[in-house]
Amino acid sequence: MKGFLEYVPGDTPLHRLNPLTKLLLSLLICASCFVSGYHLFSVGIIILNLLMAASAGILRRAAVMLASLAKLSLVLFLIQVLCVRQGTPLLTLPLGLIITDRGVSFSLLIVLRLIAATLPLALMLSVTQLSDLSGALVDRVGVPYLYAFALTTAIRFIPVFAGEMSGIMEAQTARGVEFDSHNPFKKIRLILPLCVPLLISSVQRIEGSALSAQLRGFNLRRRHSGYKRYPFRITDLASLLAGAALIALAACI
Amino acid sequence: MIRFEQVGFQYKGAPTFALRDISLTIKPGEFVGIIGSSGAGKTSLTRCINGVIPHHFPGNFYGAVTVDGMDTVVCGLDALSRKVGSVFQDIDGQMVASLVEDELLFGLENFAVPREEIPQRISAALEALGIAGLRQRAIASLSGGQKQKVAIAAILALRPDILVLDEPTGELDPASSRAIFSLLRTLNETYGMTIVVVEQKIMLLCEYVQRLLVMDAGSIRFDGPVRQVVAHSGELEALGVHCPRVVTLCGLLQACGLYQGPPAITVEQAQAMVKEALA
Repeated sequence: MKGFLEYVPGDTPLHRLNPLTKLLLSLLICASCFVSGYHLFSVGIIILNLLMAASAGILRRAAVMLASLAKLSLVLFLIQVLCVRQGTPLLTLPLGLIITDRGVSFSLLIVLRLIAATLPLALMLSVTQLSDLSGALVDRVGVPYLYAFALTTAIRFIPVFAGEMSGIMEAQTARGVEFDSHNPFKKIRLILPLCVPLLISSVQRIEGSALSAQLRGFNLRRRHSGYKRYPFRITDLASLLAGAALIALAACI
Repeated sequence: MIRFEQVGFQYKGAPTFALRDISLTIKPGEFVGIIGSSGAGKTSLTRCINGVIPHHFPGNFYGAVTVDGMDTVVCGLDALSRKVGSVFQDIDGQMVASLVEDELLFGLENFAVPREEIPQRISAALEALGIAGLRQRAIASLSGGQKQKVAIAAILALRPDILVLDEPTGELDPASSRAIFSLLRTLNETYGMTIVVVEQKIMLLCEYVQRLLVMDAGSIRFDGPVRQVVAHSGELEALGVHCPRVVTLCGLLQACGLYQGPPAITVEQAQAMVKEALA
């Protein structure tokens, strides 16, 4: 998941869309997964995401994300499938546990929705510069710069902190800590104590960044002092109409 | 003009004072270097100039610091940031954007620099640092030295009257370090920019700055033209400041009675000194 959420430079049609269009489109795609209760629709959305990723030249990243989400979904599926007791039993397990047809169907729908709804937002962030996102929110929506900056900075810090965590883990591995263990419980037990140094270094970094921003006139910023402009083009309108059509389709089937 | 009047500062919770009774005047257009061992108070001194002390770091602040007539306690960081550009020691923490161009744009947009002026300012700052090719690069993909140059370029683009730099060559190789100091000298000589730089590489300070401050335990122990300060090489060594070898050579020649002139601080001056001693 290295590089997750980091911007991938490019000049594809998806890259060229207005940042707000990308944000709205990804939200519409997410929403469509929850409007439809049809498994194949969610599968279709996942395929659509992969096609969009391929058109933006980030298919490999999307595939890595999909694989990671699939692993997480498998765990969620197993928990969920054992919790639903309604429906026709398909399998009876020790300790009174049963797997029913409704349980399988419902759990499958949940994980498919999870994957289908997560991918568009992650892909949107991969093809949008965070500064453009905050700039568009301020320029076109009138969101106060303070909040737009806070939002984009929070997103920007996710891969930074992930990198920092991996650095701490590498340093600990070099000292003999077995982070390469395949036992997930052991791994969690080893990772938990590292949250403290990560938290400290994160707070330090955020503080440094805030001070640097303040010393470069952060509080003097006004809505229209931004350099870049974010006009809406015909492609933006077409994309949003496609998103709306997707919602309508989800509601119909 | 930057004026310190009997300034003392103790960080909140710290047992001792980081700065003690500092009185200092830096005239417009001066190029001042600050050196001293770790914990001597160099960074704290620069933080008083840009107002970070006392506005960001709370503690006990005594005395007064004025920058261009503005009292740094009365003025907020916003007013001071229009005058003073700051480059910190922690370069990663200084970055606020994901792309190099956006990092430079950030300050320019905040200060509402006219739109038509912005592209030229960005190009000029990047070219001055020799990193025009990095304009569209992601900051996360840069080396430590490249990030350091980006941080300096982001401040240069703002064209402040006063430039405060805390160890700006910490992650740079010798050639890049010299290039940064050459640039600072150009800014100082061509545009009359006041420059205050904290630096551990004394050879760079000897070669480029006009005035040298040596700090120890929160106080200024030496303050004057570089040649005058390095003449105290013995005392500087005791303070943990190792003088360039040319200064040591000069001291030896003087001790032997072979040379009576001013101390040499550059290789060229040392060459002339040795020639004079041999003659």
